[in-house]
Amino acid sequence: MTEEAKPSAEKKDKPKRPIEVLRDRQGGMSKELKEFFNEQQRIFKAIKTALKAGPKTVPQLAAECNLDPPKTMWHVMALRRDGDVVEAAEQDGYLQYCLKGAER
Amino acid sequence: MAEIRNRYDALVIGGGIAGIQAALDLGDQGFDVLLVDRSPSIGGVMVGLNKVFPTLDCSSCICTPRMAEAAHHERIQLQTYTDVRSVTKQGADFEVDLVLKPRYLDEDTCIGCNECELACPVHVPHEFDYGLGSRRAIYIPHGNAIPQKAVLVPEECVFCGKCEKVCPTHCIDFTQEARRATTTVGTVIIATGLQITPMDKKPEYGGTRFPNVMSPLAMERVQSSNGPYGRVLRPADGKIPRSIAYVQCAGSRDRSIGVPYCSRVCCMYALKQALLLRHYIHGVDVTLYHMDIRAFGKGYEQFYRRVMAEGVKVIKGKVAKITEVDNYDLVLRVELLDEDGRVVERRHDLVVLSQGLMPAWHPKGTIDTAEAEDGFLLTPQAKLNPSFTTMDGVFVAGVAAGPKDIPDAIVEAGEAAMAAANYLYQARQLARIQVPALAH
Repeated sequence: MTEEAKPSAEKKDKPKRPIEVLRDRQGGMSKELKEFFNEQQRIFKAIKTALKAGPKTVPQLAAECNLDPPKTMWHVMALRRDGDVVEAAEQDGYLQYCLKGAER
Repeated sequence: MAEIRNRYDALVIGGGIAGIQAALDLGDQGFDVLLVDRSPSIGGVMVGLNKVFPTLDCSSCICTPRMAEAAHHERIQLQTYTDVRSVTKQGADFEVDLVLKPRYLDEDTCIGCNECELACPVHVPHEFDYGLGSRRAIYIPHGNAIPQKAVLVPEECVFCGKCEKVCPTHCIDFTQEARRATTTVGTVIIATGLQITPMDKKPEYGGTRFPNVMSPLAMERVQSSNGPYGRVLRPADGKIPRSIAYVQCAGSRDRSIGVPYCSRVCCMYALKQALLLRHYIHGVDVTLYHMDIRAFGKGYEQFYRRVMAEGVKVIKGKVAKITEVDNYDLVLRVELLDEDGRVVERRHDLVVLSQGLMPAWHPKGTIDTAEAEDGFLLTPQAKLNPSFTTMDGVFVAGVAAGPKDIPDAIVEAGEAAMAAANYLYQARQLARIQVPALAH
């Protein structure tokens, strides 16, 4: 057996990790999921960056991050559920949100 | 996780409050019960409600003890995240074909610690919060879920493997597959519960187009202390609403959407939610636009009068159309039925459509029992044996038979359990008095 063939044989014999078994069974990550996930990470990052400057309401975050308010609302609430974002003060009938730790 | 045995006395399809009650009533009589639910947790719709009418008890506080009792009952085997593929009559018994869907973890070693969910990077809309809140691709359904075990949705998984790495008991098993199982049961109770009329049934109400037009179950979650927002806010932009409208009969009493019947509970749940909004938001204006108020049950008429006394406006008016205007506010075009039918336009921050009840499941293709014209299970002896279906030995409980409130669902579950028990006793009696064949 040649040196070049040996790694291929080893790779062939190596059992798949369970996560690889599931991934193969699912046919990998779908294109839609990939786009959805990347977009989601981008929005979370944009919101957290905007909040570094201080507390903001959902409409203010939407304007600053160039998103529509309903989408911003969902993502802010997801961050709130994770504990990354907390309520701050009330402003003109809206709640302001800030990064956790910045509320004091 | 316990394996599916060869035989049970009874199969209960549906782990909502009616199914749980029927299983408990049978189990307490000494029968072995298999309680099956297609969701990862039992509890049905009731476990997600905020408070119940007219007592304003916390819904999950009164539901979860029954859920726990069923889970720990020595005669009841819980089988969640399982579909019933077919139920076929075999003599006096029934052969049941089940599909056990994979959670992708070992349920016996999962301790429900939630570390997998916290590690998962994918956020998706949470069904428990009707899309308003989020969960991860691997998640525990909610804090009151029974069993308190995680479930992975592979279509939402990015295959990062983080859940597996953080699991303290190493229970994640990505290689799991769906399993088929068969069993024989002596009787069946169908308690498959409800869904609300789809929000897009009446396009003129903007149910799926306007974010501030909400379903009543979504409002239950928003009002709940463990809800998606932590308090009552508008889904569109997080504004604290100052003027909220309820549109009654939005998904019932309407032939044009295929729901000609009254759904019975909508007036009461709308009055309940409206009263609670007055408690949760100081000075909020809440208006119910109705055709008539149906307060049929024990203490309901008193509750209705209390709600009006506490400042909820109850206006006899039919809402023809809802339009979204600036700032995601909504304008309702209303025909005032008590004022010579004049048509007005009223602006509100938030609208809740009081949608009707429809059956959550249909038996066609699974079990040979007939449906009525309204889509609920046909109960041919509705007056004297309301749990009897068209199939001998198969009974129905709860909203699967027709719209009803929680007390009626529980009463009917008891009746179905008694009828099922009688059926089992009769079947056993017949088996015991078989005449032996004469020997020649």
